[in-house]
Amino acid sequence: MIRFGRLDRSWAGAALALLLAMAAGAGATRAIAQTAAGDPAAGAKAIAELGAVLARAANSDYERAKWDPIHFKPAIDHARDEACLVCHKEVLETKPRPVSPAGVKAEQTEAWYQTLDTYAGAQENFHWRHIASPYAKQVMNLSCNFCHQGNDPREEAPQDLIGKAATTTAWPRNAPVFTLRKMVNPSETCLRCHGAFPAESMGLPPKWEETREGLESPDTPNGCLTCHAEQFRTVRHHVTYLNAKGIEDAAKDSSDACYGCHGGRSWYRISYPYPRHPWPDMPADLPDWAKDRPKTSDARFALPIPAK
Amino acid sequence: MANQIDKARIKEAAAKKKRETYTPVVPEVQLGFIHHNVDCIGCRACEIACKDKNGLPPGPRFRRVQYIEGGTFPEVYAYKVNMSCNHCAEPACLPACPTGAIWKRPKDGIVDIDSTLCIGCRRCEATCPFGAPQFIPEQNVVAKCNMCVDEIDAGRKPYCVMACMMRVLDIGPIDKIADGTYQTKARGPNDQVVRQVRDMADPELTKPSIVFVAHSKGAVK
Repeated sequence: MIRFGRLDRSWAGAALALLLAMAAGAGATRAIAQTAAGDPAAGAKAIAELGAVLARAANSDYERAKWDPIHFKPAIDHARDEACLVCHKEVLETKPRPVSPAGVKAEQTEAWYQTLDTYAGAQENFHWRHIASPYAKQVMNLSCNFCHQGNDPREEAPQDLIGKAATTTAWPRNAPVFTLRKMVNPSETCLRCHGAFPAESMGLPPKWEETREGLESPDTPNGCLTCHAEQFRTVRHHVTYLNAKGIEDAAKDSSDACYGCHGGRSWYRISYPYPRHPWPDMPADLPDWAKDRPKTSDARFALPIPAK
Repeated sequence: MANQIDKARIKEAAAKKKRETYTPVVPEVQLGFIHHNVDCIGCRACEIACKDKNGLPPGPRFRRVQYIEGGTFPEVYAYKVNMSCNHCAEPACLPACPTGAIWKRPKDGIVDIDSTLCIGCRRCEATCPFGAPQFIPEQNVVAKCNMCVDEIDAGRKPYCVMACMMRVLDIGPIDKIADGTYQTKARGPNDQVVRQVRDMADPELTKPSIVFVAHSKGAVK
């Protein structure tokens, strides 16, 4: 009898859990039904809403959460940071070790890119640096789904299966939204600010640390603006993921505001092929390096072009 | 161990290097991997041998066999892509590390890590285009494949290569593997190798030391 009683209770518990899961999933199911009914945008938005995410998270576990529809196209395009942080808040809260296992103190370390005037503060995790640090808030407007555009919980590999076309976004150059073993596509995310300094395109010597000395003085602290204030005044940084005004303000004080993202943190040996917005009196002949460049920003990041 | 004197010296040295970018080490020989994507049966013996050798807990995997499947019946296909650290010619993890825990060996180009110097900032993990550095949450440090340098220095091959029952994974001088002058069972007499397979990050980012005998649906360049 006791064994039967336990069995009954376990069945009752399982049934209750199933009902709760069904209730929690009802919102997502409705959203998926909306998607199937021909209103994919509304369905995707409903999946990504904070309330819906909270409801699903409250009745989920790690394995189920990995397959939550917010991790996939098209819902991930509508995900706001608050929704992502329901489950992933640790990305902003984790701290590096104050001391390495061998005794290296974090406060005594300084990498070459941390010598820039614009780099401030202690060693922190890179998510915090990109999203929540004061400098990030001043010059950037990054959100989680700027980098994270999808995921495959099974193999961490984009799969060419039926329906893939409906769940991916056409990026420039047919780039996948994430790459093998990686949860982002570094060529379309990291490279924008962590590429090499393309000094050769400007006819400058490759070593900026030497070139800048001849371009800067206490009255002109930013050598980049020697040419890029008026002569080559392009429409720059006018995209949703950057704070164009914040960058312009920071650039008045130091060229490191420019160099930081244009070579000063170059993890990679190539440069991002930025779009080349035409500017007044732009020469008709394109230099070789610019011939395949787009003339407008990616549609997904585009803002209305400001009037001159 | 760092002390106050070292701190002053570090600051002084860093100030001299202000705005200087990282110059990659050019090794005498660059060792790299070759993997046959089609003949690999996905047994994951390489993954297990690696975890065993490195004493890894559940979660982090230095080496990963990825099952790529696709197509529509009857045009379906499947192949495997097997990657660990690619010991890049111009690694992104190395310049991102603020403690000097990562370095590239001049004699064979292996990108090694001393995790006892790691403060767990995870920048190497973020910068690597191939997902090689693995965070170990229990220790709050990052570790990664070092091509079993102890085995290499002893004249042997890494555990993953030795565990491969299909002989589809091998190491050697990457330039000789690429031009076909290095004898390896991972490459058949008529096989061509490529530097990039589909959905792999752009090799131009860091110049990874790996080539693949690719599936016809997976070859890129």
